[in-house]
Amino acid sequence: MRRKSARLMAAFTVGALLIAACSDDKKTDATPASTTPDTAVDTTTGDTTADTTGDTVVDTTEPTAAGWAVNTDDCIDPAAAEAPIEGTIKIGSVMPLTGDSSADEAFAPVKDGWLAYMAYANETGILGDLKIEASVEDDQYSKDLTPGAVSNGLDAGVQVFSGIIGTPNNLAVRDTLNEECVPQLSSLTGSPAWGEVADYPWTTGQLVPYGTESKIYATQIAEQFPEGATVALFYLNSEFGQVYADAFKELAAEYGLEIVDEQTIEAGDNAPPTGQITSIADKAPDVIMAVPLGVGCVTFLGELASKKAQTPGWTPATFITNTCASSLILAAAGAAADGIYTSGSLLDVADPANAALPTVKQYVDYMTAAGKAAIIVTATAGWATAEVTVAIIKQAQASPEGLSQASIINAARNFTFTQSLARDGVVLKSMGEEDPFLAESLQVLLYDADTATFTPIGELVTQFET
Amino acid sequence: MELFLQRLVDGLSEGSVYALIALGLVIIYRGTGHLNFSQGEMALFCAYAVYQFGEWGIPIGIAVILGMGVGFVLGATAEVVLVRPIAKKSPFAVFIVTIGLFQLLNWLDGSIWGGQQLPNTGVGSKQLQFPSLFPNKPEDFVTVFGADIKIQSLGVIVLELVISALLFLVFNHTRLGLAMRAVASNAESSKLVGIRTSTVLMASWGIAAAIGALGGVVFAGINTNVNLGLMFTVFIYASAAATLGGFDSPVGAVVGGLSIGVIQNMAAGYVEEWVGQEMKVGVALLVIVAVLLVKPSGLFGTAKVERV
Amino acid sequence: MIKSGGAASWTIRIVVGLLLALALAWIPTRGSDSLIETCTTAFTLMAAALSLNLLLGYAGQISIGHSAFFGIGTYTTAIFVTRWGWSPFFTLPVAFVVSFVVGALVSLPALRIKGVYLALVTLALGLVFPQFIKWPKIASFTGGSKGLDQTGFRFTKTNPTYEIFGWNPWGNLRGQNVKPFYYWVGLIIVVIVYLICRGIVKSRVGRSLVAIRDNSTAAAVMGVNLALSKGIVFGLSAAMCALPGCLSAIRTGTVTPDTQLLTVAGAITFLVVMVVGGAGSLWGPILGAVFYQFIIEKTGDWVEPANIPGVIRPLFSWSETAPGGGIFALALIFLMFFAPLGIVGLWKRQSARLFRVVPKAAGTATLAVTTSASAETRSTR
Repeated sequence: MRRKSARLMAAFTVGALLIAACSDDKKTDATPASTTPDTAVDTTTGDTTADTTGDTVVDTTEPTAAGWAVNTDDCIDPAAAEAPIEGTIKIGSVMPLTGDSSADEAFAPVKDGWLAYMAYANETGILGDLKIEASVEDDQYSKDLTPGAVSNGLDAGVQVFSGIIGTPNNLAVRDTLNEECVPQLSSLTGSPAWGEVADYPWTTGQLVPYGTESKIYATQIAEQFPEGATVALFYLNSEFGQVYADAFKELAAEYGLEIVDEQTIEAGDNAPPTGQITSIADKAPDVIMAVPLGVGCVTFLGELASKKAQTPGWTPATFITNTCASSLILAAAGAAADGIYTSGSLLDVADPANAALPTVKQYVDYMTAAGKAAIIVTATAGWATAEVTVAIIKQAQASPEGLSQASIINAARNFTFTQSLARDGVVLKSMGEEDPFLAESLQVLLYDADTATFTPIGELVTQFET
Repeated sequence: MELFLQRLVDGLSEGSVYALIALGLVIIYRGTGHLNFSQGEMALFCAYAVYQFGEWGIPIGIAVILGMGVGFVLGATAEVVLVRPIAKKSPFAVFIVTIGLFQLLNWLDGSIWGGQQLPNTGVGSKQLQFPSLFPNKPEDFVTVFGADIKIQSLGVIVLELVISALLFLVFNHTRLGLAMRAVASNAESSKLVGIRTSTVLMASWGIAAAIGALGGVVFAGINTNVNLGLMFTVFIYASAAATLGGFDSPVGAVVGGLSIGVIQNMAAGYVEEWVGQEMKVGVALLVIVAVLLVKPSGLFGTAKVERV
Repeated sequence: MIKSGGAASWTIRIVVGLLLALALAWIPTRGSDSLIETCTTAFTLMAAALSLNLLLGYAGQISIGHSAFFGIGTYTTAIFVTRWGWSPFFTLPVAFVVSFVVGALVSLPALRIKGVYLALVTLALGLVFPQFIKWPKIASFTGGSKGLDQTGFRFTKTNPTYEIFGWNPWGNLRGQNVKPFYYWVGLIIVVIVYLICRGIVKSRVGRSLVAIRDNSTAAAVMGVNLALSKGIVFGLSAAMCALPGCLSAIRTGTVTPDTQLLTVAGAITFLVVMVVGGAGSLWGPILGAVFYQFIIEKTGDWVEPANIPGVIRPLFSWSETAPGGGIFALALIFLMFFAPLGIVGLWKRQSARLFRVVPKAAGTATLAVTTSASAETRSTR
């Protein structure tokens, strides 16, 4: 039981990560983006090689005109939170790596990507003389074990946590980390809880909040069906699926969408959703909004294709969350995935059309050299998360107060950044309490099964980026 | 009406897989009186083996038979090496050992097949594409009384019934079947009349695992992939099926498996407001508890007389 | 030879007890945060395994559904804290009572259903519990599949500190960092559960339990009230298992129905912990939890091949996954092979050479560990 649900959750999170995460490649355009517009002028003059050694350039630039700053009075040890970090910085993470949850199979590539970027950052000297010591603890995807894993890290002197996986897992340690005033950056889940800046200033999320993604689909459906449409919801009966479904239902009436059926599937249930699709087809909706995960994406699309073949004349528009938008998953679904709508903010590194892009090439080359060529698609999540974390630390280094735990979280909350693997125009932005979420832009995509590629539909949706 | 028929077939096809695993549970329970917690994982191991045979270019039909052979060896070995010696010390320890076997097999699957990257691998690294035994393209369906029935569903149901019939023949018309029945009803006396109980018990575990292997292959085929979490829920439902039918009755396992598939599908489909997908498990289990209260040994199980 | 009950034996007991008490007091005050967290996790497992032990080890009733009672504890705390603003402490007795009632109700079918069938009924309970929490009809109350948040204590920076004769039990308790506090809550729960189990086992009820386990029909004939005894023991076992569940909600401050310990996987974990230590022995589950947690901690960072000790690394070089799961499974199988009665059974066998048990008057002797924990399973064959 646990094994399945964990693995499916794992699979889904990876999917989510894939989409939201790609970023990186400091060498070319990342540096300007990682600093503020003011600094961009100075650093763009530095070329690839200058970047690796040219942190002094950054140091001389003005920091952001930061509006939001953390209040360290609430810390258990305010002095420690503001103590300068020199020589090495210890970055920790907690991911499911072992245990009979088998989640390790889905998350191992995320860990590999995350560690690979940290190694890359050290090799290329992105942080100048500052060396990164990265470590990943294991919590077996059980929120009861996450506090222990985080304590292990804290005891070992970890100064920043990045990319902790799982909503309950992050919730279970955010009290501790906020009290200790250790930044909990880039939590790898899309829970709305990462926006509670006033109560939990030290916790930030990496993914587009699930609710925001849901709204983007609702607007897209409304565009395609200006007269209104009937919609069936199909979602995973877990915290993850529920957040999507609730956000969608909230908006449905506003956009003239009538929800005619709601079907769920349990996270641990490996059987294809035959009964669910039979019920949905019985209502013959114009649109199906689906929130499955991992293998669930494949079986859902397969069942739907069968049902459509059996029901001539019923051709619902199918929207599927970007947890399934990995070319790996959709390729497994084959022809059944043709013509579905989804979304994404990152480039598909497996798409031959992107292979020539310097940032993609650099990522793929690095991973290949590290012997990780087999996992480039799934590892992007970890890589991109680490890229954002390093960029935040770099910005903190450049701030007038110098590098400390406090300046890192200040940087994270006043941050503008273009990930190296991002789609054109996707910019991560945060601004104190006004904009607690980094990632809020998505491109709606149409999948073509023949060429296994995504085609952008309409403009990049940035209206939810505040 | 079409909808009803469709749900009935959906349920029967789902239940057929439960029945195949449940049959294995029952055969083992009749033989040695143990609940084999690793029944599902043995099936999964065999499904991975079948996948591997496919990779080596062996046609699926032969691969399945080889996979059942792997299952037989696996089950028989488990009985001889683990179950038999431990059962002498503590029958309860056998249950725990099957839990250990469950974890060990699952870990082995991951260790052996975990890192293989295939062009069509899903998220993560361990979901492998798996061929179906039956045609499963979207257009492979037949229309019966207005209901569109997938050929795959029909195939699964037929396969399950054929296997049950074969087992029936083995049990009732072969020496091995006779010996198995004798051991099930009284092991001591069977020994006295010259039945090699140890061989029979070994064969029971082997046959159980071989049938389970078929169940695993069929289920992986329906899913079009095989992954480490594939069999756990199936195993749970199969145990429920065996409980409903009676743990010592092969007929009960089949009836129990099919009923659970149908009950779940009907409850989820027709009582959406109160049951739906979320509580369909609850309904199935409620039915089981109700049946057990009336018949503590399940629908077809034999009640045992307790001796003081 | 050391006589059981003799002076030497008592000296050993007292020394061991003192050392144990010292260690337990040392950990929260001087130990590292991670050690404290590890111990708290072990306490959670200990209490759950102890409660299961009362049912299985002594009454011979198998349960693969104790995760449901654990979950009842978790959700009672979560709901009372979030919906009605209770202090988490006061929810512990409520959870105890609620879980007792549910447990006693479950014991009713258990009067009629036996052996493997009963095992499956408890499994059903474990399966249905998370689904029940997620049931749309009550989701607005239980939080549904989204779960509930803020279920723990809200500490402020100015926590009062207490000193006992100059010794601060909170140790490095600083501000809102309350790890030692959870440690003490966990330890107290374990002590309470242990004392209840001990009380039951050494009482008349305990003896009737063993009689039921070994032969329920005979016990009934001899005047043991089956329904009452089973109801009490089932209820108590359930009630005790709810307490570590409460701790889980308090400690992590967040609950979801899909959490591992609330599903059947959790129930199996409890079962394994108990059996590893030794079913039918009061110290078994305690040792089992320590052993289990030790293995988890040891193999936990063997994810990178470089972290695996050199001696065994070649053994697992072919493996595509971390060896932790396989090692644990093998350990479990070997343990059952060589010591079906768990660590305590192994210890008793060894110590039999050192200690000589001098029987006391009837009725006061400690219960012997018996091999018939599954007498029921056998009798149904």
